[in-house]
Amino acid sequence: MASLNIENVEKSFDQTHILKGINMDIRDGEFIILVGPSGCGKSTLMNCIAGLEDVTSGSISIANQDITSVLPKNRDIAMVFQSYALYPNMNVRKNISFGLEIRKLPKDVIANEVDRVAKLLQIEHLLDRKPGQLSGGQRQRVAMGRALARQPKIYLFDEPLSNLDAKLRVEMRTEIKKLHQRLGTTIVYVTHDQIEAMTLADRIAVMKDGHIQQFGSPQEVYDNPANRFVAGFMGSPSMNFIEVLVVQKQDRACIELAIDGITHYLPTPDQEQRVRQMVGQTVILGIRPEQITHVIPHYDDNPGIARVDATVEVIEPTGADTLVLVRMNGQEVNCRVDPYEARQPGQVMTLMLNMGKAVFFDVDSGERI
Amino acid sequence: MSQTLTSSSQAVRTPAPARSPADRIAQWIPKLVLSPTLVIVVVFFYGFIFWTGLLSFTNSRMLPSYGLVGWDNYVRLFNNERWLVALGNLGIYAFLFIVICLVLGLLLAILLDQKIRAEGALRTIYLYPMALSFIVTGTVWKWMLNPQVGLEQFVQSLGWESFQFDWLVNPDFSIYTVVIAAVWQSSGFVMALFLAGLRGVDDSIIKAAQIDGASRFTIYTRIIIPSLRPVFFSAFIMLAHIAIKSFDLALALTGGGPGISSDLPAIFMYQLSFTRNQMGIGAASAMIMLLTVIAILVPYLYSELRVKKHD
Repeated sequence: MASLNIENVEKSFDQTHILKGINMDIRDGEFIILVGPSGCGKSTLMNCIAGLEDVTSGSISIANQDITSVLPKNRDIAMVFQSYALYPNMNVRKNISFGLEIRKLPKDVIANEVDRVAKLLQIEHLLDRKPGQLSGGQRQRVAMGRALARQPKIYLFDEPLSNLDAKLRVEMRTEIKKLHQRLGTTIVYVTHDQIEAMTLADRIAVMKDGHIQQFGSPQEVYDNPANRFVAGFMGSPSMNFIEVLVVQKQDRACIELAIDGITHYLPTPDQEQRVRQMVGQTVILGIRPEQITHVIPHYDDNPGIARVDATVEVIEPTGADTLVLVRMNGQEVNCRVDPYEARQPGQVMTLMLNMGKAVFFDVDSGERI
Repeated sequence: MSQTLTSSSQAVRTPAPARSPADRIAQWIPKLVLSPTLVIVVVFFYGFIFWTGLLSFTNSRMLPSYGLVGWDNYVRLFNNERWLVALGNLGIYAFLFIVICLVLGLLLAILLDQKIRAEGALRTIYLYPMALSFIVTGTVWKWMLNPQVGLEQFVQSLGWESFQFDWLVNPDFSIYTVVIAAVWQSSGFVMALFLAGLRGVDDSIIKAAQIDGASRFTIYTRIIIPSLRPVFFSAFIMLAHIAIKSFDLALALTGGGPGISSDLPAIFMYQLSFTRNQMGIGAASAMIMLLTVIAILVPYLYSELRVKKHD
């Protein structure tokens, strides 16, 4: 268990800059998720923390000790790989105990440790099998067992669930979360799956192009995205982006929204102060699908609620909700409505827009206003 | 429901369309194409194996004859001093050839796998000997190892007058020169096999072992090399049957000599059958060689087929 500090880490291969100055302060026991599209540098950052790749500049320290140039084996970390990376010629017991044997621990200590880990992950009955005889989920457990065996300061997970089928992935996700709650060890976890990020993390670092775009708690990242990229990446279906004009109406800054030929003026939320100074300019309105719903009467009194009529273009039932596609300002907008309230394509439906949770981005830079 | 029934019974009643002649030919083509191969295999492989087996129980001398003599030829074969020398030589040769090829091939493959520059060029160079026939290899090494014109003469001409390397003409060592030439020819191929095996090892396994604290040496000895077991097995099978069949290399390099000191079973078989008019004994020696190959191949095939079923 330890804190992890990453200061100004840069990494480049020849002319290609993969990491462009990463700063992170991770507290003892935190579950940190690095998330981003492929090629954003998250796996490289993970390898740098593990010591499998040298950093070009900057420093990394674990428990306030600089380990930038320390060999991987002396960093006291453990890693779980996407391909599990089990040693194919050894049985499960050997796989778990290999690292302990290399560190020359006494035999009885090793045996106890293997038993402890096997019990923890419920793989006792698999101990004498070879990796080739295990299913994907079992291999995943063994890979985690190998990481747990040494009780290292920090665990690194490199997309550990992406090779599992959807159902197993959800199960293992819950188990990893339980494991973290029980052990309380610092975990850095790489994934490209934003749902995994939301469900597991204490804090999420959203990465793109070698930069950290935002580093904060899941709810913070979801409700208060730092820029258009983060807003679009987190959440499924993703946030709607609508180009709108800011206008002054009855002493309030409003946005102009044309739906089916009727222009609506919707008030900007109180907390979005800066957009009020942009009257007359075009901005991007960001609003999540769940903020545009069917009419729920007792929400009517909430500030920022507006009713609009829109023609349904496409409906996509998901069971729990139905996604309704409408057009606002000529742009496609997804709304999440109750399946029994959804109208058929071509019909007009009354929608309830919650402007209280709307966010605004700059048209050119995509930065939050 | 009744409608469905009617329609399905109608479908059953529709007669199958008659086969056109073109369809029938298309059906026969695979069989037609494969049959010559089948005939050749049956006649020239299994037929001749059977014929050789038959001849080994007859009193054939220069030409085949069919007076059955029971196990006589086998008894005379194993009382023949020269056959025993040839078998002993095969033992030395096969053992050294296989072991040195495996060790050298693995070593070269590991060294080539260190992400070095010009790896492609080096790999080709190591593989080139494989492109030569054993006759050429034998002839080239015969010149190089010849004390009067080869290595010995060269080193002596450099000034090291007492240098001696006369294995080729020394009856105690002549079989080892065959080993040297055969290793030179085949180790590159073994290297290619191992290199392919090493490339198949998942990179993250090595990373995992590094994090586990294993040194480079430990990673190779405890994880990578053990996981190459199938490659070892395939390489062993190929080398073993090359060794047992070895004929042209030894014939070109030493001709079985000096005397019979580097004789191998294949040379023995050829000379008795076709130059010494002892076809019966020759056929018996051929059968012994065949049985040796089968003894190695059958477990291999068994394990291969079993693995397939397992998948």
